[in-house]
Amino acid sequence: MPNIAVFIEQRAGQIKKVAWQMLSEARKLTDAHGGEVWGVHLHAASCNVNEDAGKHGAHKVFTAEAAEFDRYDSELWTQAMAAFINEHKPDVVLVGSTAMGKDLAPRLAARLKAACVSDAVGLSWDGGLVVRRPVFAGKCYADVATRGDVAVVGIRPNAFALAETGGAAEAATFSPGLDAGAAKAKVSAVETAAAGQISLTEAEVVVSGGRGIKGPENYAMIEKLAEAFGAASGASRAIVDAGWVDYSHQVGQTGKTVAPNLYVACGISGAIQHLAGMSSSKCIVAINKDAAAPIFKVADYGIAGDVFEVLPALTEAVQEIKKG
Amino acid sequence: MKIAVCVKQVPDSESRINLSGPVPELDTSSFTMIINPYDQYAVEEAVKIKEKLGDGEITVVTVGAEARVREMIKKDCLAVGCDKAVVVDDAALAGADSFAVAQVLAAALKREQFDLVLFGIKAIDDDASQVGIMTAELLGMPHVGYIGDLELKDGALTAKREIEGGVEVVDSPTPCVLTCGKGLNEPRLPSLPNIMKAGMKPVEVLDCAGLGVEVPASLTEVKQFAPPPPRGECTMIDAEDPAAAARELARALHEDAKII
Repeated sequence: MPNIAVFIEQRAGQIKKVAWQMLSEARKLTDAHGGEVWGVHLHAASCNVNEDAGKHGAHKVFTAEAAEFDRYDSELWTQAMAAFINEHKPDVVLVGSTAMGKDLAPRLAARLKAACVSDAVGLSWDGGLVVRRPVFAGKCYADVATRGDVAVVGIRPNAFALAETGGAAEAATFSPGLDAGAAKAKVSAVETAAAGQISLTEAEVVVSGGRGIKGPENYAMIEKLAEAFGAASGASRAIVDAGWVDYSHQVGQTGKTVAPNLYVACGISGAIQHLAGMSSSKCIVAINKDAAAPIFKVADYGIAGDVFEVLPALTEAVQEIKKG
Repeated sequence: MKIAVCVKQVPDSESRINLSGPVPELDTSSFTMIINPYDQYAVEEAVKIKEKLGDGEITVVTVGAEARVREMIKKDCLAVGCDKAVVVDDAALAGADSFAVAQVLAAALKREQFDLVLFGIKAIDDDASQVGIMTAELLGMPHVGYIGDLELKDGALTAKREIEGGVEVVDSPTPCVLTCGKGLNEPRLPSLPNIMKAGMKPVEVLDCAGLGVEVPASLTEVKQFAPPPPRGECTMIDAEDPAAAARELARALHEDAKII
């Protein structure tokens, strides 16, 4: 009968969608095995996450307000979450594997001397928590059991579907017990990306380009198709290392891991290092001249054709559909 | 400036994963072992800092069987500019989880006063991305994770880390733990003469008892490995007429898969 706490992450007042995905999945577990789902939310200004959290499965939502929660700080977030966990003693704490969550979870787990599992794609309860997660570049999955009073588990964004099976959540507050003096590393500024740019790890659709686009000047073709889809634009390691595109676009083992609803690989052969970063996408489209390329082994739809001929036509066709 | 760099040996990502037995077990016999690629950014950053300051000492720390990590320590660390190494070799640590390894590393790091402790952001075998930040907590040091840019000042540093839709600029005093990502630098390759000379650099080998700590218990345990979920067959669209193929793909995504 696990009580599951879900960290409801906000950045600049915006809630991360992975929070609702985690609440939805946690509620499935507690409906089957007993226990409650608790949302935990740290915020600076007034907030209202209660309704959304309840709708997605939270029985209760615990919030803590402090001016310091205006901007992420590893130490203060760790203090607040540790204070919550020590007071309410959840069995499991779910944290989205986002930039913030990946920074917070290990520090929090170490402070609590708690089990920590990252980047989970499956949760089950078998007398204790069992976490499924990809390892070895996604070439296999590991089922991990945890020991101790509480486990901190990172959840891969988009791994769980949203469900709106919950109702109204009870509202409660907690004291984050902040000791601001202990916070030594401080975020002094946040440089935001150009307006309109969609974050790769959060995008519903990702369009990526590889060697097949032949030169940096042709990456615009990828960006145009991405724009038509309302997608983020990604890249293979080969074209990042060649200097055609900035590293922040790289998808794969030494880049970003994405799991969008749709991943469109253009001129990408599908080296294992690339597959590591995108093979858990819901639907994969591969467009590549070489019909024997490994990317087609993970793809749902494939066109063994020339990206220079297919992409402009695809961009147009997608624009037509989007127009309705 | 005293810098520590923590590295891990991992299977090359080209290594085949064989799952055998009724409860699938991992057959590691065919693995080719390499230095974790992210740790190379940490090593390179340490060497760059030392070169820039014109003084300092770089200590490499790893957990693993000495006979297996020896070449990695020599070729990938000492030969590119690190000064000495500490290898924690203890058979009781086989299968240790991130927190157990962090406790061992923290014990090894506490023996000296380091100004900076560098890690790779994650290891490419278990992809856990935990040990560096956990070690920071155990050492009572602040950390900046996933850095892509670093500037050192007197007794302080400014690092940049990518977040969704932007970059966080973080200021920290030293000592501090940093986890290093791609984009920070271009790791150099060792030269043959330097590999030869690296053999002369000191490598200290000890076990947990030698560090004065109990073998820490792991809080997580892999119950089983499983093959990844199978993906359905790929629907190939005839590419004879590329424009028609593109239209058919868009139609299929809209009407069949209902994604757009």
